[in-house]
Formats: sequence, structure tokens, C-alpha cells
Amino acid sequence: MKIDLRVNGIDRSFETAPHESLRAVLRREGFFSVRFGAETGETGADAVLLDGRLVSSEIMLAAQADGHSIETVEGLNPARGLHPIQEAFVASGAIQSGYSTPAMILAAKELLDRNPDPTEFEVRDALSGVLDRETGYLRPVHAILRAAAMLRGEAVAPIEPALIEPLVEPDQSPDFGAVDRWLDLPPLAPKVIPSPDVPETQVVGKPERKVDAIKLAKGHPAFVDDIELRGMLYAKMLYSPHAHARIVSIDDSRARALPGVHAVLHHENVARVRYASGGQSYPNPLPYDQVSFDNKVRHVGDRVAVVAAESIEIAEEAVSLIEVEYEVLPAVFDENEAIAGDAPIIHDEPDMEGAHDAARNIVQHIEAEVGDIEAGLAEADHVFERTFRVHQVQQAPIEPHIAISWLDSDERLVIRTSTQVPFHVRRMVAPLLGLPVRQVRIIKPRIGGGFGVKQEMLIEDIVGHLTLATGRPVRLELNRQEEFVSSRTRHPQTITFTTGVKSDGTLVAQKMRTVANTGPYGTHALTVQMVSGLRGLSSYNSPNKKFDCDVAYTNVPVAGAYRGYGAPQALFALESHMEDIATALGLDVLDFRRRNWTKVGDPLDMAAELGEGAAEMKFIPVVTSSGMDECVAQGQRAVGWHRRYDPDWVSPSDRPHIRRGLGFAMCMHGSAISGLDMGGASLKINDDGSFNLLIGATDLGTGADTILAQIAAEVLGVPTEEIIVYAADTDMTPFDVGAYASSTTYVSGMAVKKAADDVHRQIVTRAALMLDVDSPGEIVLRDRAAFATDGRSVTLAEVALHSLHQDDQHQIMSTASYVAPDSPPPYAAQFAEVEVDVETGQVTVYSLVMAVDCGVPINPMTSAGQVEGGMVQALGYGHCEEMAFDENGRMVNARFGPYKLYRSDEMPRIEAYMVQTMEKSGPFGAKAIAEIPKDGVAPAIRNAIFNATTVAIDNIPFTPERVWRALQDR
Amino acid sequence: MNAGYGMRTITRYHRPTTLDEALDLMARDGVNSVVVAGGTVVNSSPQPPDTEVIDLQAICSRAIERDNGRLAIGAMTRLQGLVESPAVPSLLRELAYREGPNTLRNAATIGGTVATGDPDSELLAGLLVYEAQVRIEHPGGPSTLPVVDLLADPRVLAGGIIGSISVATGGATASARTGRTPADVSIVAAIGRAASDGVLLALTGVAATPILATRETIASLDPSGDFRGSAEYRIDLAGTLADRVFGQLGGVQ
Repeated sequence: MKIDLRVNGIDRSFETAPHESLRAVLRREGFFSVRFGAETGETGADAVLLDGRLVSSEIMLAAQADGHSIETVEGLNPARGLHPIQEAFVASGAIQSGYSTPAMILAAKELLDRNPDPTEFEVRDALSGVLDRETGYLRPVHAILRAAAMLRGEAVAPIEPALIEPLVEPDQSPDFGAVDRWLDLPPLAPKVIPSPDVPETQVVGKPERKVDAIKLAKGHPAFVDDIELRGMLYAKMLYSPHAHARIVSIDDSRARALPGVHAVLHHENVARVRYASGGQSYPNPLPYDQVSFDNKVRHVGDRVAVVAAESIEIAEEAVSLIEVEYEVLPAVFDENEAIAGDAPIIHDEPDMEGAHDAARNIVQHIEAEVGDIEAGLAEADHVFERTFRVHQVQQAPIEPHIAISWLDSDERLVIRTSTQVPFHVRRMVAPLLGLPVRQVRIIKPRIGGGFGVKQEMLIEDIVGHLTLATGRPVRLELNRQEEFVSSRTRHPQTITFTTGVKSDGTLVAQKMRTVANTGPYGTHALTVQMVSGLRGLSSYNSPNKKFDCDVAYTNVPVAGAYRGYGAPQALFALESHMEDIATALGLDVLDFRRRNWTKVGDPLDMAAELGEGAAEMKFIPVVTSSGMDECVAQGQRAVGWHRRYDPDWVSPSDRPHIRRGLGFAMCMHGSAISGLDMGGASLKINDDGSFNLLIGATDLGTGADTILAQIAAEVLGVPTEEIIVYAADTDMTPFDVGAYASSTTYVSGMAVKKAADDVHRQIVTRAALMLDVDSPGEIVLRDRAAFATDGRSVTLAEVALHSLHQDDQHQIMSTASYVAPDSPPPYAAQFAEVEVDVETGQVTVYSLVMAVDCGVPINPMTSAGQVEGGMVQALGYGHCEEMAFDENGRMVNARFGPYKLYRSDEMPRIEAYMVQTMEKSGPFGAKAIAEIPKDGVAPAIRNAIFNATTVAIDNIPFTPERVWRALQDR
Repeated sequence: MNAGYGMRTITRYHRPTTLDEALDLMARDGVNSVVVAGGTVVNSSPQPPDTEVIDLQAICSRAIERDNGRLAIGAMTRLQGLVESPAVPSLLRELAYREGPNTLRNAATIGGTVATGDPDSELLAGLLVYEAQVRIEHPGGPSTLPVVDLLADPRVLAGGIIGSISVATGGATASARTGRTPADVSIVAAIGRAASDGVLLALTGVAATPILATRETIASLDPSGDFRGSAEYRIDLAGTLADRVFGQLGGVQ
């Protein structure tokens, strides 16, 4: 049928089928800014303006829009430059991955067209239909208020970091009772507490615009799905409806007979090659318990078969025609039941490799001990023990997994994929496809968020198999339900802490026993749980420590990497436990922790036992920088910590069923996996004195490309815009492990700095020649030029032209790589303010404050965005998000409303403070920042509920019924 | 799990321009048709094979008009239209706002909300306490019935189209709710209005649709629990939240 639409002011006619969504038609016509987020339209990535109103184009038939006017962000785009709303988003740091940025910009346009001077709440309402997993909404909301001011013709000030006085004087105990709570600062200003130890820099430490901001703000085609390939086939998976079953038979004859079907693959026609899907360094940790297609399914949503067809509709119909006979087996979902000895055996196949004890469903057993735990407990004056349970959640990037593969003109397989680990994927996918690595090229374009779920070789083997089987380009995109149950999740864990304490509050022994649930495949079974033990037993000093962990196979969806990587689980248990101990001993909850937490010079002895690169670690690392005391002080002030001791505040007299509370958690993370994670960078000069920076590092929206460009620019004395970043492409860029383990700034950043230092050396050598100076070392690079000590200079463009064209020709370039011997911990203080309705159990979170020591933030704007957005993800983890299952292991809430992501119009106040320290081992003093915001929110909320009600709750999330039941049992 | 997108099974699209045309389309034997107002439910949930869509956008009213002391709201009025209309009682505006984010409110309609009978819909609970009457257009002529009757037996809608919803005006109101987060769909909500003959109380989350209740009937509720709240918890919440609503309305019942 034909429909008439006015799109961005131009009358157009389109052919459409009755079932087609408006989004499908718009994308087919080239409006790539309108993106898929969920088949239910709940993410808003698909939003457009229909007759001036923001609607989801995913759940609107194109036919419904017939005769109406549609606006997409393409209609706003000036030929060059930016619309004021786009300009405000770029300037405000409101863009991370940018996947949903066009929708947010349209939301702003709708509002500002009607209401040029909106309140913050009206802005939050206007954004309520666009879910954001990245920014925590703070910067988009204030970007829109800034855009409103710009459109009203008001002057807006540049956004600069707000420099905040330190509160902690050396050797003084601070008192914040009388200090103002919230500082009167511009809301978009990154809040930095400077350190006198940090040298002055020109580009590093500045809130530079993201290098990819323009294409993201304008919705240019930049993501995996934003290309068109002639003859492309559409893949659709058939997934298991059973939690545990044997495939007795598969009859694909009706599917194959369907016109338009080109391939149907399953265990009977795909080679059985063992692998582990976690994107990790060679050799991938055991077990190798997966194959592309198996004759057994082990969770609802496990792979059964895949179809490639001329259209997604045909592929879906073909999937429904595959007849599978299952022998349904008993299933087990709980990690403790799974390893009890009498549970169904999940991996009984003879060719499976490397599980600790497959007959008991124990994938991994990990033990590590420092000192003598039993002797330590024996000498303690008090021993405390408590068991905690953390649940299963999903990373939920707004862009789900998607990959498109094709054969290039050399018949090499190219896979364009939304991945955090392109180099690992290339190495891991090749053997599954029977190809040498050289025959495979992986391209990572812009990625719409990952958070660990894309640290996997998850669907690349499937599109690869299909392209090899058909010779055609193949596209596979998971829908939202599939993303929930058929990708990866966070490991549930049962954690028991046993802690021995002296009467004065000094820890003498700490034991952590963990039973973790990896689902049916151990992709990150070893490494996530090692990080749990490392983080759980590194925050505090204790001469005797022990970690004892079993990782269980079960029939829930597969667990893998999720931002924080084992630390959020461990720190929920640890920081809850520490709160309880302090309370039981009558000690101040901060003083007790401060007495014990690790300080500069303290050994990180568990790192030698549980570091993933432990084999290379010949020494016990020590803490080399910590701003923890200052973090606590800044957070205490901002959250108004003194109020927790005020009974009139805790129990407001006008609302008898309300109790208020404040909670704290300390956080400590790492910066990369020492001795293992490696990053590479290649840098070359161009004729005009600009530089190409080629990196294997993987920007998922974090701003990694930008801070790496800033590091190069700082060394080379140029503005960031002179650095043209390209990443990542296994044919074009040096190796990098990818985006995980908080490694990009610290490791890839050092690789960039090394390459830039070498290019710097080559430039000053050439400049010395041109300026007839004897000592190149005296030449200084600044303002796009090389200066001699007498003030004479040549521009970098002149240097480039001279070296490329004129004399003793030489390409000024360098490639460098870096692997870190250390993993210096960032520290943070997390505070939460809550209200508890003691009659219903409802918990309302009013504010979250995190003060974090990440060394020197290379870009305070993107760093603040990492903390703000990370806290909001962590809020979901502690407060409301959960994967809920029926008794057969089927997820009952695999859509965003029931799963529950926070919306813009229901957010607590969030504040991020960055406490500078000078970490000498990092690039320009930097440590990691991306993961630590995930660690403290759940325990801080738990401790705030405890402060409010005296009820200690040891399971997350703090949903109303859970809290109500705990209050009933009080 | 393996179902495709809801709308994939839609094979024909109709946009009738008269009520009679729409009713004729619906009356065809052997045709599996579904009426679409905003489309937010139909297009996001599985539909049977060979579904024909009948889009009401060209025939149903979006007007909000005073009518004999009541307010008549055209069935195609979008939820955002309710939110923005000063003529609509403020509680109903707030409840329309609570139905979902702006992308949903800009498409979903009051008629669609009534027709789908979502047990968690606070707007429907609001319509119950505002003594809403639903005008249904049938091939044999229109009929009007209380929304409470329609919710109790949605079959009365078969073959018909909701034309408008009229609500009472006036009366003090109160509401109380419990959810996981401030904007979350409430696990249970209690909506109250002081009507001429006493307080009307409606509850969400305790039955197959929102229901009218009294203090006495709460104890005999038999909700089905889910992961957000067990049956036992929902009954307890209903009592607590109803008490708050009655308390805010001065204890009248």
C-alpha cells in the first residue's frame, strides 16, 4: 500500500506493507537517526515527532502515519554546524554513546517549540519517553535548559570545571555539621577538588568536546545497522523454550522449503568446535563448554537453530516451521541447590573441557588465602558472620547485539559488530568457522552502549556461519526479549562474610565464601568471581584473609561481564557487613571503616593471589595514591550526613509512616588487569600538521576516543581537534584487548602517550634541523608549532611538509603498546539518602552523592558523565531492576516497563565529585573511573534503610514487598 | 520467546471515514479484525495470524465538552490531551500522566485505555470513582453503560466502538499508591472521590481489572500475585492505601 507522509517538511510517498512499523519505513528511506531499542517501543530510541508530538515509531504502523507530518533529527540538521539544541547537547557532555541522542533532541524540540522557558520538571517530563542507560539524565536535562536559554537569545557561559576547596586538612578531623550542604554551582560544571601535586596541562584535564559528538548529535549513520548492503539476508534465531532438554530430532524441511529461505543451521549441520565465549586474552580461561549449536539446550533462550532469509518476516516464518522434538530434563536454577550433589547434571557431554567438577555442576573452585584465617579468627575479640544474596540483572544497552557480515572482494569474511572486544572476537570466531585468523576482519563502528554484555563473542559466529553458507551478507539483530534472555547478565551470588575484629575495631581476619551462579555456560565464571574475591578482600586491611568460591552451573540465562565485574556483588555484601559490625560494636560507621581501609603504602596482598595476570605478578602491589579521606568529607557535606543523627529528621512529625535515612559505602576498584591487559596505538602526522590516531581501544560511548585524543594532543602541543581518531578495525588498528576491566584510560592511554612521546621526539628532531638548532631536546611543542628557546618557530604543518616532501623524507609516525605492571585502585565514597514508608515498604531514593578519586580526570566532563550514569545503573541494581522467572525458568518480565529502568522524571538528585590525586604510574596522573560508580549504591541504600528503620536487609533489590516483609519481621 | 513482533501478523489496514463503515468492517464474518486507537497496545503485543487493523483515527472524536454537569471526553482523546486539558478534573489529569511516559501518552487514548482494561491502570480506577459512563456505538445504535459494567464484562463491547466517555465532576479526591520507583506502574493504588452519596474507592493491582471497593470488600479480595507483589502483600497494601485515602477524605464513607 502507498502512504503519503510529510517528512521534515517535504511531501513524500512510500510503499509499505500493512504490518510495517513507521520506524522500518523511515530507516528504509534513509532516516538512520530513528533507531531500534525494543519491539515494545519502550526505549524511545525510535522516537519521532508526529504532527509535532514525540511518539514511538516502533509501535506505530506506517499506515497509521499516512497523511501526517513526521520530523526526525535529520530535519534539524544544518548543512554544517549544529542546531542550538545539538550545540547544547555537545557542550554539556550530554552525549555518551549517542544512540538515543537524536530522540532526546527531538524531545527537546517538541518541548521548546511549545514552551520556550520550561522548568526542570517539564524538561524531565519531555524526556520521560527516552530511556537512557548512560548519562543518568542529568546532562541531557540541563543541556535542554541551556538550549532553551540559547533559543531565547540569552548568553550562556562556557562550561568549565568548578574547582572546590578541599575539606580535609592534613592530620585534622573534619567537622561538617555547620557547612552548607549543596554548593551553589552550575549544574553542568564538573566538580573537581584539585590537588597541588598535579602539574599544569593544556588539553588534559579540560572538558573537551567529544571527538565523535557531531555525528552523534546529528544522527548520522554511524552504528552497525546504519549501512545498506545489496543482497543482504536477515537472520532469525530459534531459541529453546525449555530450561533443560535434549534435542531428540530437528526437522527443518518445511523451513528450507519456504521461498526466500537461504540457510537453516543447527547442530546437525554445523561443525562441533568447543569454545568459551568470554572476550578475554589468549588462552581463554576454561571451561570450553560451548559449541555454536548443540544437541542439548540448557536455559530458556539457548540456541537451537538459525535461519537466513530474504526478509526478517520470511526468517521468522521459517523459524516457526522448524520442528524440534525435545526430551525435557529436570532443571535447577539456584546456585546452592545446583552444587548440592543431587541436582541434574547440566554438562554431561563427554567432549566438554575444563570444568572443575561437571558432575556436581561446579564450573570453578577458587581458593586464596593470605596469613592464617583460622588463627586470625581465633585471636579476634568478636567474630561476625552474615550471608547476603544478590540477584540477576541485565546490562540492557539501548542498542542490542547486532552484527552484519559479508565477504569482501578478496572473499575474506568481514563482520561489522557491536562489540567491546573486536580483536578477541577475531581470534575466537575464526576457529569456529574453520578459517585462519587472517581471513577474518572485525569492524567496530559506534556502539550504543555495552556495559560488559558485549565483552563476548556472542553472535558473530552465527552471522559468519550464515555468510559462509550462503555467500551473502547477513544481518542478525537481537530483539529486546532476546537481549534479556539470550545474551549475558550479571552473576547472582550467595556471599557469606566472616570477620574477626579486635575490641578497638581493628580487623584481624576476614573470610569470604561465595557461591556464584553462571547459568549453563562458564564464559566469565573464573574471572568475574576472582574480581569478587579481590574487591571483597582488598578494601580493608586485615592480616588474615581467605576467599573460597564455587561457581555453579544452573539453568538460568548465562551470566557474563557487567560493568563492575564481580565488585558490585562483593561490595554490597562487604559494605553491609561492615555497617552491621560497626553498629554492633557501637562504633561510628565511618570511623570504623577509616581505621581499617587501605591507605597509601598499604599492601594489596590479595592482588597477588587473585589478579588475573597473577602468573606475571612477582610482587605484592601497594597503594600508591588515595583520596579517600577527601572523598568521604566531600560526600558527607553534600549529603548532609549530620542529619542522620537528628531524630526529628529521621521521623518527620507530619508524616508518621515515613522514616528517613542516610547511608554510606566505601568503594575501591582497579585500573586494568596488571600484567595482562595490553593496548596499542599508532600515530602519524599529516601534511597540515594534524595527526591520525589509530587505536584498537573500543569506545562504547564512554568517551575513550576523546580522552585518548586529548592525551596525544597534550604531548604534541595541539588542540584535540587536530587528532583524528579511528577505532577499531582489526585490519587497520593495532591490537587492544578492548573495553573492559577499567583499562582504557590507564592502559590504552599509556600506549597513546608512548606513541605520542615518540612522535614528539621525531618532530623536535625535524624542527631542530629546520631551525638549525643543535639540541632537539630544547624544542618545545605548543600551539601547533615547534619553538626554539630563542623564540623562533616552525609550524607542525611546515614540519610535516618538510618531512613528507622536501628533505630526507620520512613519515613521522610511531606505534606503541603498553601493558601495566600495576592496577592502582581508584577510591570513592558513596552516599545515599532515602525515605522508607514503614507501612508499605516503599523505598524512595532522594539523593545519591559519589565523590571519587580517579587520579587526574583526563576529561572532567566525560568523567562526571561516567560517575553520574554509573550511579544510576547501580541504583537500578540495588533498588528496582530484576530478572524474574517462573518455575520453569522463563523470564516473566523481559521488557523494560516490568523490568524497570529509571526514567528521567523520577530521578533522585545525583552529584558527582572528582577528588584529584596524582597517580604517577598513569597517563598524566590518571586512574580508572568507568566501573567504580557501580560499586557503592546498593550498600549505601541498604545502610540508609538500616539508618532509617533499624532493619538490615541482606538481599537486593529493595522492592516494596521485600522491605515490607523485613519490617514485619522486625 | 520465539514470537516475532506483534504487528508482523497484520495483513490489512483500514482507515474507515464513517462510523457505519467501521462497524461494517468489524461485522464481517470470518475476518479477524482488531480496532486500533493509538495502537500502543496492539502494536506491541502478539496478534493472531492474518489480523486486519481498523484504525479509528478518522472517525472518533477528540473533543472534551461539558455536558449536563458532566464532562464528555471523545474516545480518541490522547492521554496527553487529558493531561493538558484544564477542563478535566485534576486527579484524572494526574492519573493520565501516570499512565506512562510522554511517547506513550502522545499516542495512547482514553478509549483504548477503557477497551484494554489494564488491571494496573490508575486512570481506569479514576474513571471508576468519577462514575464514568461509556457510550458504545453499535450497528443497531448507541448504548451507554457504566465503565464498571464494561470492565466486569468486556463482551458488551463486542462488535461495537467506544465513542466517548463521560465523567462526573466535582467532589474531593485523594490517592495513594505503592510502586518500586516514583513513576513505576503501581503495585497497588487506591483512588478515592467524595461523591454525593459517600466516598467511592477504586483499587488497581488487586483483580483482573481496576475495581470499586469498600473497606469491607478489601478483606475478601483474591488478587493473583506476581514478582512485584504477592497476593498477601497486595491485600495488605490495599488496606493500608485505602485507609490513607479515607483519611485524606476526612473519614467519610
